[in-house]
Amino acid sequence: MGQIDEYFKIALRNLRTRSLRSWLTILGIVIGIFLIISLLSLSEGVKEAINQQMESMGGDIIMIMPGSEESMVGMMVGGEVLEKQDITAIERTKGVESVLTMSYRGIIVRYKEEAKMVLLAGLPWDKSLEILERYQGWNLFEGEWPVSGKREIAVGKQWVIDMFEEKVKVGQEITIKGRKFKIACILNSLGSKSDDSQIYLDIGLYQDLVGEKKGSAKMAMVKIEKGLCPDEVAEDIKENLRKTRKRIAGEDTDDFAVITSEKMIGVTNSILGIIQSAIILFASIAILVGGIGITNTMFTSIRERTREIGIMKAIGAKNSAVLSIFLIEAGIIGFIGGLGGIILGIFCAKIVELYTQANPVFYFSISISPSLIFFGLFFSVLTGCISGLFPARKAARLKPVEALRRYE
Amino acid sequence: MIKEKIVKLEDTWKVYQLGKVELVALKQVNLNIDSGDFVTIMGSSGSGKSTLLNIIGCLDSPTKGKVFLKGKDTSLLSEDQLSQLRGKTIGFVFQEFNLLPNLDALENVMMPMIFQGMSFEQRKKRAHDLLVSVGLGERIYHQPAELSGGERQRIAIARAFANSPELVIADEPTGNLDSKTGKKIMEILTDFHKKEGKTIIVVTHDPNIANYSEKVINIKDGEIVINHKQKGEFLWGK
Repeated sequence: MGQIDEYFKIALRNLRTRSLRSWLTILGIVIGIFLIISLLSLSEGVKEAINQQMESMGGDIIMIMPGSEESMVGMMVGGEVLEKQDITAIERTKGVESVLTMSYRGIIVRYKEEAKMVLLAGLPWDKSLEILERYQGWNLFEGEWPVSGKREIAVGKQWVIDMFEEKVKVGQEITIKGRKFKIACILNSLGSKSDDSQIYLDIGLYQDLVGEKKGSAKMAMVKIEKGLCPDEVAEDIKENLRKTRKRIAGEDTDDFAVITSEKMIGVTNSILGIIQSAIILFASIAILVGGIGITNTMFTSIRERTREIGIMKAIGAKNSAVLSIFLIEAGIIGFIGGLGGIILGIFCAKIVELYTQANPVFYFSISISPSLIFFGLFFSVLTGCISGLFPARKAARLKPVEALRRYE
Repeated sequence: MIKEKIVKLEDTWKVYQLGKVELVALKQVNLNIDSGDFVTIMGSSGSGKSTLLNIIGCLDSPTKGKVFLKGKDTSLLSEDQLSQLRGKTIGFVFQEFNLLPNLDALENVMMPMIFQGMSFEQRKKRAHDLLVSVGLGERIYHQPAELSGGERQRIAIARAFANSPELVIADEPTGNLDSKTGKKIMEILTDFHKKEGKTIIVVTHDPNIANYSEKVINIKDGEIVINHKQKGEFLWGK
């Protein structure tokens, strides 16, 4: 095995003489690695952007939603609400600086001739505007903040981008459940396409419209006093809610979720983790197919080169030498494929990044870590070697006399 | 002085199984070849001469019987040990030249030395010297496809002598060449034999070629029929 560099040269030369087929085989690996690198660097970028957004909201936000903590989906779409006394209990908890309540529901709205399903979000406008501006980064793109008492609404930035065929302008009217509302303002992007597609209106108007009980809310966001530990305040809120519910309704179960922003980050990360696992799974299938391609090419190549193998064995090549040469060939295919996939993947992710930054619906940068690149290369070389193992062993075990006789 | 037996075959059989038919290629062959001999194995097509050569060269193993190379029983050696033995002790010259098509002349001659772990500089020098000695000093960077049959066979001879083997085996070395080129090839082989005292075994069906050797072995239907010394005056007569 002391001649590994020589075997390497022989392997490289063998690949070069079959360059078209070698490149096609390499392409099979390129596609798999390309998928992994581009999608993972994008999703990693999205993850970082979301975490940043969560952090920009302040590390000390607590969200309270009705429904069991175990089922996030149920919490988001379930019909349960926080009652007025629940909200009072939250407001009275020690360490709570301000409470922002919000209700939302999907509803069909009409603008000119078009109808669309959008998310309607009701907020106590007078109370919450300050919090929204200060902590959530809300600001006006166009128009004036809606005045409570009037039938005025605020819409997200997406409305003026591509929500409706006809351009949406401040001052125009939309119809919800047969009632007309005036668009008072358009907000600057809030960070996500879904947030930017919503309608925001006063909770009073909202509850009239959808028939929700006055004073209740779908969720509450709590801004806590500076210097306090969010987890402790969250515990206190839980305790207060529990007491209130027991007193009023005799309930004994925790039918609400109190989530700190830290926990929220954990949840989004775990969701993105699942997405990333799916990406890796599918890309692995692509790489597996690429690997089978390598095996196939190597087998073909061994059939063609049977005589060469016979010659090499006749002039003194040991089985291990032949095995090494073929394994190195397969490994090189894997390596070049991996390298190509990484370059193409980064290139593609960069284009997506530039595109989204030019259209800042959701601003993020791709994230390419050295470990991702190392992983891509390692994985592709490994695939190459494993795919080449069978053919290489077959080549190594050929009997010299049979190999020389073949194709005479 | 008793010469060392470089090749010794004891009751060697080779039987090929072709479906249900058994084809006997070698029938109880006993053979001794002295170190330093120039031997020709003659026989018509299908006589078993190539089989005999493959067995002597450790490219194939006998069905029955024993093969000794330099006194060593080759049936006791592993595949890797056989490879090592071939690389070090035996040089091959084939009828079809069997050069590696992707390599140039120099690299082809250097190849056997790679497997013996020789350094690049040593290999290059040795290969260059050998190519010069077979008269190809000017064409060392040519690929086999750019060379004539005779030139290719000369590369193959240079390659066979790369590791200074004690035994060189040539299977119909002139079979694919015209008589003039064939003569040149035989002269190169005899030259190596005379200068370096190597044992050379040539398989042929051409009596003219046999005239170059000191000893002729005739083989017919897998059996050795005549095993006689050529008269001295025939030698180098052509």
